[in-house]
Amino acid sequence: MKTKTLTFTIALSTLVFTLSAQAHDPKEHMKDAKAPECAAMKDMDHSKMGMDDPVMQAIMKQCMKDMHGDDTGEEESHEDHEKESDTHNSEHQH
Amino acid sequence: MKNYLKSLALISAFIMLSGGLFLYSGLYPMGADTPHNQLTYWLLETLRERSIARAASDLEIPNDLNSSDRLLAGGADYNDMCTGCHLKPGKTQSDFSIGLYPVPPNLTLTVDRHDPEHADSTGSDNETIKRQFWIIKHGIKASGMPAWGSGHDDERIWNMVAFIQQLPTLSPEQYQILSARRNNNGGHH
Repeated sequence: MKTKTLTFTIALSTLVFTLSAQAHDPKEHMKDAKAPECAAMKDMDHSKMGMDDPVMQAIMKQCMKDMHGDDTGEEESHEDHEKESDTHNSEHQH
Repeated sequence: MKNYLKSLALISAFIMLSGGLFLYSGLYPMGADTPHNQLTYWLLETLRERSIARAASDLEIPNDLNSSDRLLAGGADYNDMCTGCHLKPGKTQSDFSIGLYPVPPNLTLTVDRHDPEHADSTGSDNETIKRQFWIIKHGIKASGMPAWGSGHDDERIWNMVAFIQQLPTLSPEQYQILSARRNNNGGHH
């Protein structure tokens, strides 16, 4: 009886371990992960990107920390960025 | 009528016997560096496309597929899992994209450019989106495309689909930013 219980326990834990190892955990990639190179944003053609564009929004989210140099950047609203963008565009026009 | 049936039976037996002999002869080139003949290609292609279209037809596309959160989560996974075969902006070929047969589609191109035959047959964007989700989740037999659904939930796969929709529009610089993995975009949504 004890042998049966022991066998069952080992089999169950092996199964659980195997199943958990199959899942592709993003943390596995963290050690090889490269930081976003947000400096490249300066060279992008912002005139082709609207604030409604999901690509633009995603880039903003990804680079928020780098742009502001701290973690508080994530709290900033899109309106603030629109203002920045407007200022940036008007500078180009002059 | 009797003669007709007899002839039909003889022809059928001959075709089956010839097919069996060819099968066991080993004459068909199985190397990935020799393309299928047109008949085999058409048969396999039709079998694959009809099967995927039927299986994917009931899928429901999430309403927020265009959200930036999905893009960020899907970009990191795409970079880790797909670029070897399906490439990324600025990269036009890899060992896998050159050596695999059938050739994996270059997903940095729009569907009508990387798979013109398929673009003509599917018609709507929604069908393409469903097809992409189904293929990522279930893979395709004997093509090198694995079934990612065994280790990834549906949300993560939809994130990858969301990213693939935008991929042809991205520059190498935009791609690098969106596919970089931060602690807060690790596959959740």
